This record gives sequence, C-alpha cells and structure tokens, in this order.
Amino acid sequence: MMHTLITEVRQKANGKGMSNLSFITLAMFGVLVAVFGVASLLVPRFFDINNVSNLIAQQADIIIGIGVTFLMISGYFDLSVGGIIAMAAVLSAYFSQAPSAASFELGSGLGIPYGLALVLTLICCVGIGAINAFFIVKMKIASVIVTLGTLAFSRGIAMIVAQGDQRNTGLPPIFKECGSFTFVGTLNLAVLIMIVLLIGALIVEKKTVFGRRMYQIGANQTAARLSGVKVDRELSLLYMLSALLGGISGIVMASKFNSGNCALGTGYEFDALVVTVLGGTSVFGGFGSVAGMVIGAFILGILSTSVNMLGFPPSLQMLVRALVIIVAILAQRFALDRRNV
Amino acid sequence: MDHKIRPQTVAEAVIERILAEISAGQLQPDQRLPPQREIARRLGVSNSSVREALQSLQTMGVVDDYVLEIRNLVKDFPGVRAVDDVSFNVRRNTVHCLVGENGAGKSTLIKILTGAYLRTSGTILLNGTEYVAYNPREARQKGIATLFQELNVVDQLTVEDNLTLGVEDVKFGFLTKSRKIRQMLEVLRSIEPSIEPKQKVGKLSVAKKQIVEIAKAAASEADIIIMDEPTAALSEGEIKRLFRIIRGLKEKNVTVIYISHRLDEIFEIGDVVTVMRDGKHIATKPVAEVKDRAELIKMMIGKAVFEQYVPREIGAEAALLEVRHLTTDKLHDISFAVRPGEIVGFYGLVGAGKTELARAIFGADRYSGEIYFKNRKLACHPAGAIEAGIALVPEERRTQGLFPILTIRDNIPVMSMAKVACGGFVDSAKEREAAEQFVKALNIVTSSIEKQMFKLSGGNQQKVVFSKCLFADTDLLILDEPTRGIDVGAKSEIYSIIRELAAQGKAIVFFSSELPEILNSCDRIFLLYDGRLKAEIQNGPHVDSEKIIHIVTGGE
Amino acid sequence: MNAMLRKVSVKAVVSNLYVIGVLAIIVLVFTLISPKFVGLPNIINILRQSVPAIMIGGAFTLLMISGNIDLSVGGIVGLTTVTYALVGKAGLPLFWAGVVTLALGIVVGALNGFLVVRLRIVPVIATLATMNLCIGVGKLLAPKGIGVIKGLPEGVELFARSRFFLHMPPALYAAIAITILLVIFHKRMVLGKYTAAIGGNKTAAELAGVNVVQTVWILYIMVGFCAAFGGIARASYLSLGDPITGMGMEMDAIIAVLLGGTSFFGGEGSVVRTVVAVLILTCLAAGLQVVGMPPYWQSLVKGVVLIIALVIDILVKEKIVD
Repeated sequence: MMHTLITEVRQKANGKGMSNLSFITLAMFGVLVAVFGVASLLVPRFFDINNVSNLIAQQADIIIGIGVTFLMISGYFDLSVGGIIAMAAVLSAYFSQAPSAASFELGSGLGIPYGLALVLTLICCVGIGAINAFFIVKMKIASVIVTLGTLAFSRGIAMIVAQGDQRNTGLPPIFKECGSFTFVGTLNLAVLIMIVLLIGALIVEKKTVFGRRMYQIGANQTAARLSGVKVDRELSLLYMLSALLGGISGIVMASKFNSGNCALGTGYEFDALVVTVLGGTSVFGGFGSVAGMVIGAFILGILSTSVNMLGFPPSLQMLVRALVIIVAILAQRFALDRRNV
Repeated sequence: MDHKIRPQTVAEAVIERILAEISAGQLQPDQRLPPQREIARRLGVSNSSVREALQSLQTMGVVDDYVLEIRNLVKDFPGVRAVDDVSFNVRRNTVHCLVGENGAGKSTLIKILTGAYLRTSGTILLNGTEYVAYNPREARQKGIATLFQELNVVDQLTVEDNLTLGVEDVKFGFLTKSRKIRQMLEVLRSIEPSIEPKQKVGKLSVAKKQIVEIAKAAASEADIIIMDEPTAALSEGEIKRLFRIIRGLKEKNVTVIYISHRLDEIFEIGDVVTVMRDGKHIATKPVAEVKDRAELIKMMIGKAVFEQYVPREIGAEAALLEVRHLTTDKLHDISFAVRPGEIVGFYGLVGAGKTELARAIFGADRYSGEIYFKNRKLACHPAGAIEAGIALVPEERRTQGLFPILTIRDNIPVMSMAKVACGGFVDSAKEREAAEQFVKALNIVTSSIEKQMFKLSGGNQQKVVFSKCLFADTDLLILDEPTRGIDVGAKSEIYSIIRELAAQGKAIVFFSSELPEILNSCDRIFLLYDGRLKAEIQNGPHVDSEKIIHIVTGGE
Repeated sequence: MNAMLRKVSVKAVVSNLYVIGVLAIIVLVFTLISPKFVGLPNIINILRQSVPAIMIGGAFTLLMISGNIDLSVGGIVGLTTVTYALVGKAGLPLFWAGVVTLALGIVVGALNGFLVVRLRIVPVIATLATMNLCIGVGKLLAPKGIGVIKGLPEGVELFARSRFFLHMPPALYAAIAITILLVIFHKRMVLGKYTAAIGGNKTAAELAGVNVVQTVWILYIMVGFCAAFGGIARASYLSLGDPITGMGMEMDAIIAVLLGGTSFFGGEGSVVRTVVAVLILTCLAAGLQVVGMPPYWQSLVKGVVLIIALVIDILVKEKIVD
C-alpha cells in the first residue's frame, strides 16, 4: 500500500493525478502530522515516549475499526461491536475461570483451558455476527436497527454472565498475558495482535477478491448482483468478521485488565464510526480504506490524550468525538467536491 | 346592451366583446390573440372565463387558439442533436398525439416541456407567453402536468389527501375543508365516480392510481396533461375507461398530449397527430385526415436507408440456448432458440417485455418455464448464468451496469475476478493489462484507466460495460438496449464489435426498440408486443419494415 | 369493492387491536403471577415511570413516519435533567427552569435538523454525534466525581410524583396532552400530512410542492422539545440531574415504535399505538422486576424484545401483503 501511495504521489508529480482515495488518505495523514505537531507544542511533556507508545496502543479502536470500515465500504452499519467486546471479555473470563465452590457465583467459572475458552468465546461472537447477517441480509432490515438490537443483546449476555459486575477472580495466569506480555520495550502482545490484524486487513482490502467485492457492493449493489457477485454471502461474511474482530478486541481488553468486566467497550461503536469516517471512508459506500482508519485512530488518540494531559475533564472526550466526526464529513466532502469539479 | 331573458355568462360577454372588436376591424380573425392574461386583465374578467370564451370561439372557427406553440426547438447533447428544429402547434382542448420511433426525439421533446431538460434554442409559448421550466415542479406550477410511468402518488395517503397535496387550504396550520377541496372532489367525481375520496391510494389498482393523478392535474387547473404510454399497464376495460376520461378532460379545458406506440389508440382517441423522426418534425395532421396505419408508419420510418445487412453463414449447429415456455407476470409463453455465431434480435416498443425477457434469461428475475444452455438446465441466478457462459449488458448502465465511483480498471474485471486473481489474491498487473487491452480494443476515450466511471461520456461508459462482459469471455451475450443514449460514432463502433463477436462464434441476443439497428445487425428477428412473441423473421433484403411496425404496434 | 374495503378495515383493526391485545396479555400474565400487579400502587408506579417514554415516543414516531431517525433522544434527556437541576438550584422558580430547559430541547432539535437537512449528513451519524455532544456537555456541567446533581429545590418531585388528579401526577397528564396534540398534528394539520407524504413517496411530495426541508426540520425540533420535556419529568422523578440517565432511551423508542406497528420504511404509523407499546414495555419491565429478575438482565431483554418486534413486523407485513 505504501508502494502504491508513493507511485501515485510520483504520478501526481508527473501530472497524472492520484486517485481520490489516495488524496484523502494523504490529506488525513497531513492532518495527523499537523495535529501531532500542535499537540507537541501545546501539551507539556507530550513527547514522553511512553505516551507515544500509548497512542500506538489504541488497539481496541483499530481492531474493531477494521470490521466497521469494511462494512461501511460495503454500505452498511455495525453498531453491535461495543456489546460484543463486553460479551467476549466476560465470556473469556467465565469460560476460563476455575470452578470453585466459592462463596459467590462470580468467582466460579467453567474451568475450560484458556485456548479452548478463547475459541468458544469467538464462536459465540461469530454467532452474534450471524444474527446480524440473518436480519440484515436475508430479511433486508435496516442495519442500524438490527445492530442496535444485537448491541443490547450481546451486552445483555455480558451483563448477565457477569451479573452486572465483573469476573476477575480465579483466572488462569495465562489470562493476562495477551495484554501484558511484552517483548521489545513497551511492545506487548496486544499491540502485536493489532499489527498482525491490520496487515491482514490491508492485504484483504487491497489485494484480495474478497476486498474488491466490498467496494463493488458499496458502489452499486444492483450492478454487483447483475455482475454475478454473491452479495449476500459476502455481506454475511463481513458481519461475522466484524463480530469476530469485536471478540478479539474484547479478549485482549479483558486480558489487559485481567478481568471480564461487562461495562467494557461502552461507546466503542461510536468511536469506531468516528475513526472510520475520519479516515475518509464514505457513509455512502464504495470508498474508504483501513489505512485511513488507522490514521483516524491516531488522530483521535492524540486528541484524546491531549485533552487528558491538558487537564480537561474526561467528559470533554465525548464532545471532541462528536465535533470531529461532523467536521471530518464536511471537510472531506468539501475537499472531494472541489477536486472533482 | 340587449336585455336577455337568460343571464349572460362572463364568457359570453367576452365573446361578444371579441367579436365586436373583430367586426370593428380592430382584430384580424387569423391574427394571434394577445395572451389570455392580457385579455383577462384588459376586460377585467377571470382567466377561466377568457379560456371558456376562446374555446367557444375556436369551436366556432373564429379564432385559432393554441395552448402550446413550439418554434424551432433544438436540443443538443454532446455529439448528437436529439431535437432538430422542431415546430408545431397544439390546439387547445384537443387530444394531440405524438408518435415516432425510439430516438425520434419524442421523449427529449417531452422532457423539455416537463422541465427535466433545458432546451438548447428555440421558443415555446404556453397560452401565448414564453415558457421555460427548470424542474418538474416548476412545469407543474406553470400548467403542464405529466403522467409518468412511475406513479407520483403517495400510497399511504387517501385519494383526497393526494389530490390536495401541496395545494391544501390551511388555517393556522390546520387542514380545512374549503370550497376549493370540494371543487377538486367534484372534478374527481365527474371523472371517475367509483373512486371514493377516503380510500387509501395504495389499495387502488394501477389504473385507478393513474386516474387519481389525472384528477389531481385537472383539478389544479393544468392547461396540458402529458401522458407517456399511459396504457402500457392497463387492461382492455381500463383503457376504455381512460379514453372516456380523456374525452371528458377536453370539456374541462384541459389539453392532452398523448404519446403512444399503439397506433390503434391514436385513431381511437386522437384529434391531431404529430409524427417525428430522427429528431425532426415530419408532419402534423388532424387524425381524421390520416388514411390508415400504413400512412402513419410510412411517415414514422420514412425512406431511411438502413445499412445493408449482409446475410451470414450460420453453421447448422445445435442450439446453444433454448428457451421453452417462459412466462412471468408480463411475458406469456415465450419459446425460441439461438445457435452459436448467431445474432438474434428482439424488437418491440416500450412495454413489449424486452427487458423482462432479457433479465429472465439471465436469471435476474423469477420465471416459470425452462431454459437450457449448452444442453443443461440453467439455474435462475446471475452468478450461475455467468458461470455457465452468459453475460448481460443491462438496460440502464448507470444504475445497473457500472460502478460510478470506481475506476475503469475496477469496473472491467467484476464479472470474472478469477481471471485477474490467483487463489483469491488479485494481480494488479493483470487488472491493468485487462483494462488497457479493452481500452485499446474498444477505442475507449480516456486519459487513463484510473478514471472514475462517472467522468466518462455515455458511449465510453457503455463500452466499459461491454468490456466487463467481454472479459468474462462468455459464449452468449445478452444486450438490452446497448446503444441507448449514445452518439452515432460510438453506436457504429458497438455494431462492429457485435458483428465481430458473432464471427468469433459467440451467440448474441439483442434487445432493442430501434428498428434500424435491429435490421442492420441481426440474422433473425423476433417481434414482441404486449409480452408475446408475435413473429419470427429471417433478415434479408425482402424484409418489410412497415409490416414490422404494424405488428409491434398491435397489428396482426 | 366490498371485499377490498373489508380487507382494509381488517388490517386497521388488527394493527390497532393487536397492541392492546398484547398489553392485555402481559397484564394478565403478571397478574396471575402476582395479584398485586393490578393493584393501585403498582399501576401508579408503572404509569409514572412511563412518562418520559410516552412524551418522546409520539414525536419519535412522527419522525420515523417521515423516514428519518433520531438517536440523540437519550442524550437530550440526560442533558436536560442536568440543566433543569442547575437552573432550579440557581434559584429560578421551577416553572422558569422548565421553560429554559424546553428551549434547550428546541435548540438541540434544531441542531439535529440542521445537520440532517441542511448539511445533508446521514441521520444516523448526525444524531449519534449530537447524542455524544449532549452527554458530553451534561457531564461537563455535572460536578466531578459523583456526576449527578443533587439537592434540587423543594417540590421538584411534585411534577412527576404527586397525586394530582386521580392519584396520577401532573407529568402524566402533560404526557397525555402531548400525545393528544401530536395526534391532532398528525391527522389534522398540514405538516402532519406532509410528514406522511414525505415518508411515503418523497419524490411525489416534492413534485407536489411540499417543502421537505422545512417539514423535516420541524419534526426534529419537535423531538428535541419532547425529549426535553421527558428530561424534566425524569429529573422530577429522580430528584436528580444525571447526564447519563437517558442512555438507551433511543433504543426504547425504536422498540416501542416497531412494536406499535409503525413501519420503519415510513409513510404510515400511529402515535397512539406507540404509546400503548410504551406501556407494554413498562409493564414488562415492572412485571419482570416483580418476578425477581435482576436489573442486569434488562439489556438482554431489550435486545430480545427488539428482535421479536422485528420478526413480528416482518410476519405482519407479509401476511397483509398476501
């Protein structure tokens, strides 16, 4: 992808013009650099290396952002990811908690070996994705409404299994490895997982048939069907993939906190939307990129951390997100309109 | 002033005044009268009284009252002149029919009247005043209402609500039942009493929904109602009812411009007929003066010189495609066969069922009956058809054939991703190669294959859609109106592409509503009318175009 | 002809009866489990708790009939409880606090309308953004730490809790009044008709001269106003200002609208049926509480109910179409 970007920058220099997608991605990269620069100037001690690596660790947003971006490129929403994160976190804890005649229920789990517990958890998440796919693809109901329902449903499962609280006792020692196992400096397993998934996502998006289909379906679903694209199958797979990614994210988060907390991931579905849109993905489908989403995640990360470090109350974060998404949509629309006239 | 025993209507007073002015030499009988509003203002009376008066005067033969005058109208699109210096007049309170083949310029003319297009040059006078509309709403407000094929009624509202939509009488935001509404309901009742005002429009038949639209237009004092193929979806009885209503409209001071391919209808309901061909105005005559269908047909096709069809050698191979008793909602028992290397054409006019048949064969719509391809039964879905070796170039390229925001390079491999991919991974080099190969082969005009589709011209867009299908390298190609909205140059390029494909042994099924292109390309021609296969003709020098038009317009 | 009319009324009767029927069934079931269910104290409780949802449900229905959605209602409720509390604590009489709060609701509604019809941002994203905006501002205004505003002036709970008439609080009557006004709006006012027209066939409406931008904008303002009113009721009920108290209400509204048989494709719907559906949901929630279901089951139940509502909607539609 970098190679394509560079080629296109060269082509632009030769007067051949770059694609809209590269233009927006590049523009947002520019915004990232600018925001980084401003933050370094305005925010004291911004350059602390720990801080920078914290930014890199925006993994939850990025991992679920992949699924949300893919679906948005295809022209659909997935608002259930926040709930799936919670569900995966709680289930991974519940499945691997040691069973005990403990004094309280929350301390007793199923005692399944960690690896198997993870597999089971992910299967449950994919199940939620299948429910999404059924109602959205087969029954043709609006994706907003269906995924709001599965959001409540999956968070509901999390809340029931965690009884409104969290499961953090009797967990096997390996449970926290994902989130804390570090090798190079602050590079921990969680970040590695994120990077691997990202690379995978980029490859899928740019280089696979499956990836191309997303753009075709998003650009014109009717034409896609008439060109033999198996639209229903692709969309179903995308919803299950999105749920799977939510599950992975939830597992990693549970590992980081060494607890399966049912309140995890609250509001993350909106965050995913924000970074997806920030990255240049169009709500109308057919246009966008995971690379842009990552840039968007970094921009949001810098903004969030700056807000924190400047001493503003945490509730300002919500305001920031709200403003950012609106500004991003308008600015990108403006930029593309002017470019294409 | 005489003291008459019966009270004199305002209209009669107007008539008297005008007659007086004529006999006083102030007004020449055949001089065009000043615009209605002028007269109304000068005499201090209402527009409708003046209209009534003029109508009577026209019937008396005293004046010529034209509701619409078209002078030297021209409409150009890039590369093609769709309307070429057209001039004719429409008399008030007549049913004025507009006929002509596809591409004759009828629809463009109508679109200019309805505000969908802006004319390139020329003048249009409505009731004597200059008329221009920038959008359909403006056209409607100025007095020209149109009945489109897609009904513009709100199903969820009642008939009464639909009639009054946009013209309600409002008191402090509340809907009031005023005299105006009662008048509108009166109009509806006089047109079709069986429609209850309180019924939900969604429950009405298509025919009745149409009537509601007509009533709305009439009730809002439209001067002209344009009807574009209104009988396409109607039964015999419904058509009779529609004609009764149209005749009634004339008495309500409404002029109807009626477009139809069904020539019998022209003779039944029309007062005047205008024939267009190749964008030009051919003739405008009272229907009474037209001898028969043949005369109309002759005017419609003129002495058009078709490209000479060269008979080709088709091998006596087994049929590649066999369609048996295909039936859908619109189609009735269609059966035919196509051999490899053959170009089979389906000719019919709007509503004949061409697109329905094209989609059914491709598996895009359900049908009953069977289709055999390469001796195997064909499944009913597009992916299956493509896999078996059939590709479709759809009727509407923008909404069905291409991906507007994607580039040429992205569009071409869509039907056959396997060719540019290896094990699920796309080879960009192969993609680029394919795109460049087709850009060259089909002469697609573009500075780069990375151009987004919506930036290309219609002709080039269609070539990309063709490339997409050709890249799939199928044995059968279905083409649904492949040259619609394309300039002459691109058209002939597409015809040569088709001929070459056939020479390579591919079978082509060509659906079109333009007779010239069917005649110059196809080996065998099927004629469609009203969802039925009416005739099969072998192409050759003996082909009788008039007879063809006769059949596709409902004749036997 | 007669057969057609008969089919029409059958469908209308079925849709209207079925909500009332479901309500009756639920009340019956829970009464069998615990006879106290139909006791006066419980009824009062249920009705009092339904007030905010009833206030919001009607306007929300109208918005959905026009083919649009507003996911920020929960956020508006939260923000308005905070402003009501703050203004009340600042010394203004509660009445004026209410007026200021309602004005705020109108402002947020206007903002939603602006984003959707003027800036043409997809309603889902526009209203999600305003939701975050409202919750964010609400949180900023609330004291750090506890996050809620306590110590509201005397008599604040009168609106939502006092036995004003027939044992019911004024808030309920306000909700009923709003509902009646909305029904009148829908059936008797020109903008109500335009709402249905826009949702049914936007092109036809535009062609006929309907000002779509203006109508939809007004609908969003109405939803904002009603949500603010709901916030006042909620603040009064809890004697608190809490920015996140409304979270999830957008989902409740959607469920109520769907359960009430309003199609989310627009054009058709009923304010009254939505209100009955709200009662169904509150009864369900109350009943489950009586039965002893722990509060953390709520989310799951909501999700399941939404899915059931969707399934019913599909079945009903297919049956009628046949």
